[in-house]
Amino acid sequence: MSKELIRLQNLCMAYDGETILNNINLYINDKEFLTLLGPSGCGKTTTLRIIGGFTTPVSGDVFFDGVRINDVPPHKRQINTVFQKYALFPHLDVYENVAFGLRMQRVPNPNSRRGAKLSNEEIDRRVMEMLESVSLKGFERRRVDALSGGQQQRVAIARALVNRPKVLLLDEPLGALDLKLRKDMQIELKRIQQQVGITFIYVTHDQEEALTMSDTIVIMDKGNIQQIGTPEDIYNEPKNAFVADFIGESNIIDGVMVKDKVVKMYGRQFACLDGGFAENEPVDVVIRPEDIDIVPVEQGQLTGTVTNVTFKGMQYDIIVDFRGFKWLIQTTDHSPVGSKIGIKIDPDGIHVMKKSEYSGMFGDYSSFSDEYDELNGADEAREEQGNES
Amino acid sequence: MRQNRRTGSRFLIGLVFLFLYAPIALLIIFSFNEGDSSAVWRGFSLHWYQSMLHNRLIVESVYMTLLVSLLATLISTLAGTFAAIGLYSLPRRRRDALLTVNNIPMMNADIVTGVSLCLFFVAFFQLWGGFARWFNGVQSAVVLPTRLTLGLGTLLLAHIAFNIPYVILNVAPKLRQMDRNLMDAAQDLGCTWMQAFWKVMLPEIKPGIISGALIAFTMSIDDFVISYFTAGSSTSTLAMTIYGMTKRRVTPEINAVSTLLFLTVLVLLVIVNVGEIRQERRKNAPAARKEPIGERLRRFFATRTGRYVQWGLVAAAAVCFVVTVSFLTTETQSIPVVNVCSWGEYIDADLIDQFEAETGIRVNYQTAESNETMYSLLKSGGADYDVIVPSDYMIAQLIEEDMLSELNYDNIPNFALIDPRFRNLSYDPENKYTVPYTWSTLGIIYNPTMVDGPVTSWGALYDERNAGKVLLINNSRDAIGEALMYLGYSVNTTDESEIRAAYRVLDEASRRGVFQGKVMDEVFQTMEGGNAAIASYYAGDYLSMLENNEDLRYVIPEEGANWFVDAMCVLKDAPHMEEAEAWINFIASTEANLANMDYIRYASPNSEALEQYPAYYEELYGEEMPPELYDIMVTPPDVLARCEMYENTPPDTRALYNRLWIQLGI
Repeated sequence: MSKELIRLQNLCMAYDGETILNNINLYINDKEFLTLLGPSGCGKTTTLRIIGGFTTPVSGDVFFDGVRINDVPPHKRQINTVFQKYALFPHLDVYENVAFGLRMQRVPNPNSRRGAKLSNEEIDRRVMEMLESVSLKGFERRRVDALSGGQQQRVAIARALVNRPKVLLLDEPLGALDLKLRKDMQIELKRIQQQVGITFIYVTHDQEEALTMSDTIVIMDKGNIQQIGTPEDIYNEPKNAFVADFIGESNIIDGVMVKDKVVKMYGRQFACLDGGFAENEPVDVVIRPEDIDIVPVEQGQLTGTVTNVTFKGMQYDIIVDFRGFKWLIQTTDHSPVGSKIGIKIDPDGIHVMKKSEYSGMFGDYSSFSDEYDELNGADEAREEQGNES
Repeated sequence: MRQNRRTGSRFLIGLVFLFLYAPIALLIIFSFNEGDSSAVWRGFSLHWYQSMLHNRLIVESVYMTLLVSLLATLISTLAGTFAAIGLYSLPRRRRDALLTVNNIPMMNADIVTGVSLCLFFVAFFQLWGGFARWFNGVQSAVVLPTRLTLGLGTLLLAHIAFNIPYVILNVAPKLRQMDRNLMDAAQDLGCTWMQAFWKVMLPEIKPGIISGALIAFTMSIDDFVISYFTAGSSTSTLAMTIYGMTKRRVTPEINAVSTLLFLTVLVLLVIVNVGEIRQERRKNAPAARKEPIGERLRRFFATRTGRYVQWGLVAAAAVCFVVTVSFLTTETQSIPVVNVCSWGEYIDADLIDQFEAETGIRVNYQTAESNETMYSLLKSGGADYDVIVPSDYMIAQLIEEDMLSELNYDNIPNFALIDPRFRNLSYDPENKYTVPYTWSTLGIIYNPTMVDGPVTSWGALYDERNAGKVLLINNSRDAIGEALMYLGYSVNTTDESEIRAAYRVLDEASRRGVFQGKVMDEVFQTMEGGNAAIASYYAGDYLSMLENNEDLRYVIPEEGANWFVDAMCVLKDAPHMEEAEAWINFIASTEANLANMDYIRYASPNSEALEQYPAYYEELYGEEMPPELYDIMVTPPDVLARCEMYENTPPDTRALYNRLWIQLGI
């Protein structure tokens, strides 16, 4: 893309003896939409707060445009933030909330050391322009607590963007909205980002949000970056079991790399496209549920028993037991519970990963329903935020 | 049936409220009483409000109360608010623990807080004294004061200390309700922390700060117990002054002051509650159409006039502050001062103004409750009086313990006017320490409409025929002394068997139900209202009672009576010796003695004043003074010859008195 704007170097953070960030290295390009994605407590919000200047790292440096800004307070950074739950000022109306940053701004002025305030006309022009671009014209004098969630969301974005920052930080901004509104706002945010042409750093625990909007996704867990890449890279080439599981649905099976392009599972050899492993190296094999074809038993590379079927509209999610290990398969064909089926996997449907600390923790659908609870994880994340600091 | 139950419960509620508010209503009603009794209604008048405003003790203590309350509120609100903000940034568990600690002082008994603060201050003063002496010894550039005493400073510190928890308690919930990200958001948008505090946090927690400040102010303004222990001797808040006044007698002046105090606190509480209700309502109806007052005010302040008003308010606040500070500094530094401790209602207050006008010396006039309380205050080191006015036997004790300073009578020329009869008395045989203030007798006051025949003997106090109608004086020396006189013994006997015999007289009378109770100042109301027939009290006070109940009679019993002198003396190492002698000389003058005699109705020791008083009375009231009243006020020499003065008794005897007195109970 274009040039590098922010660089995080060897960033470490601990709180009460507990490691929050463990040697984070990351660069962020100008005009990029970058998402920090990970489960609660992975360190993504802390990373964002360090970039915003609200938290000081224990060690490591933050560079902005090549300048170290560790000691620059938040109000002197060309960065603005959209906070979780928006943090609108309840004692001010919509107009004054948006105008807040402008009223604090000083432009260089030869007559005054502190600089001159922006003129009321200038402030008015910019606030009204901003309100219009977030479709809140006519709401200027409303109290912010009299607005709907979506409207509050847009006030928060307008309040940040009206200052024309170089970077906008967004901390789970859609977490409090309902599903439909969230989908609309995802598109809206992407549109705004393209329109204003600045860097967005977006924090979320929702993989679907990340895949929809981002240019780059940074997957974090336990204070470490697990993988950095485009949404396609991350989906198709997850680096380890954690990433594979966190992004989309994955069946992760123990395997052995017989040789390049041949992997052995369930005592059977499968053709694949991966290589570069040692001979007979144990590996994790990822097979996406949609990459599995159901075939008659006699044609199957493997055979298993259907234990659960869920109708999903476009497809069925079926759980199939292969010798005690349960797979999720997405298919348009109905197979009744209890029936025996065969499956076939194309070589490009198989992705081989090196063993990692996450091996064996994910990718088994024995406890099927738990996986779907993650969609409701937004509430947990909010509580966690409340308990921090 | 249902109807009945409702009337029944209403009746009960009415009863509860009556019980709660009747005393206050009574107090308010009697503050408008024309007469000076708290029992007899003599018609409506604002007289006591006027006299309250002219009572400099009250005015000064109101000023002191407001000063301390306002300063304490201001400082504790600031400190409490920032403490709450600090607490709020701690991890939850530690915050909760600290908030619990914060609650303890509020639940703690005031008396414990007061005593512990007093001990703490006194301990600090001692440490400081040691340090200052050492410091002054090793260098001479800066001289530190070595002797610190309780006073305005400690009072203020104590008030700040007990107010802070209330502020924290009110601010903390507002902080908890606030979105944690608000401060970050403000800083994100270009504020420094301080700007963010003013622009975002303050508006959010303002209701909490205001209610915290109001509650702190309310607590401060009516605090008595903690103030009592930390104000020292030379500072007095309104509550303390009221308490001191009741020790003498409850005049409607006190009712007037209490009424104002009650109304002040009531108004403050109403403001707090209305504020809370309004806030509640706003929360419940977020889209309320009506513009809130704050909004309207803000718009008003944005106009031209509004801006002037705003600046005016700021200027007024600044002026108040400057006046306060300048008062504080002049108070403590430039103007010469004398600290006087006397009894309540024991001076014509105009004399104080007159003295100040004549000499430019500020009089800090305080009152104590009794010789014994004053003595213990002096012993505790908490007092910084210059002049005190103890009674004879207490003077002897103070001299014995080397607590008084010898006077330079060259500075007190008016001492020459003191009648020789009142010089070189047993308590100060060489008259080196004292100048008499007043003298009087302790006799029997009785109501002839309630007893058979005239009372002539102390025996009437113990007579079964008067059962339930006698008030025993509530101090051991007087009560046992009366019985000693009845038995024909000396009031100064050290013979244990005589004292025990006197005790048996009291004990027996007590068993037979002769005594209605033990009283000091309640004697005024009880006797004036005709609720008791016989009491023993001081001649001067009898004359005051007579104004409210003309039936009352005073008699010096045939066995004789006690006569006493209260004299002015100066404490050892008093910081204002010169001013103290000026004050004593002023009070010893004939004019001052005449004014005092007229006001407090105790006899003067000044021979000119004694002689001139009847003429003075006639000029003032346009009628001759009844000679029998003059004889009660100024006991004639032949009667006085039958009276005996208390002398300082040995510690053994004092201890015996105490033991017997406690044993007597009643």
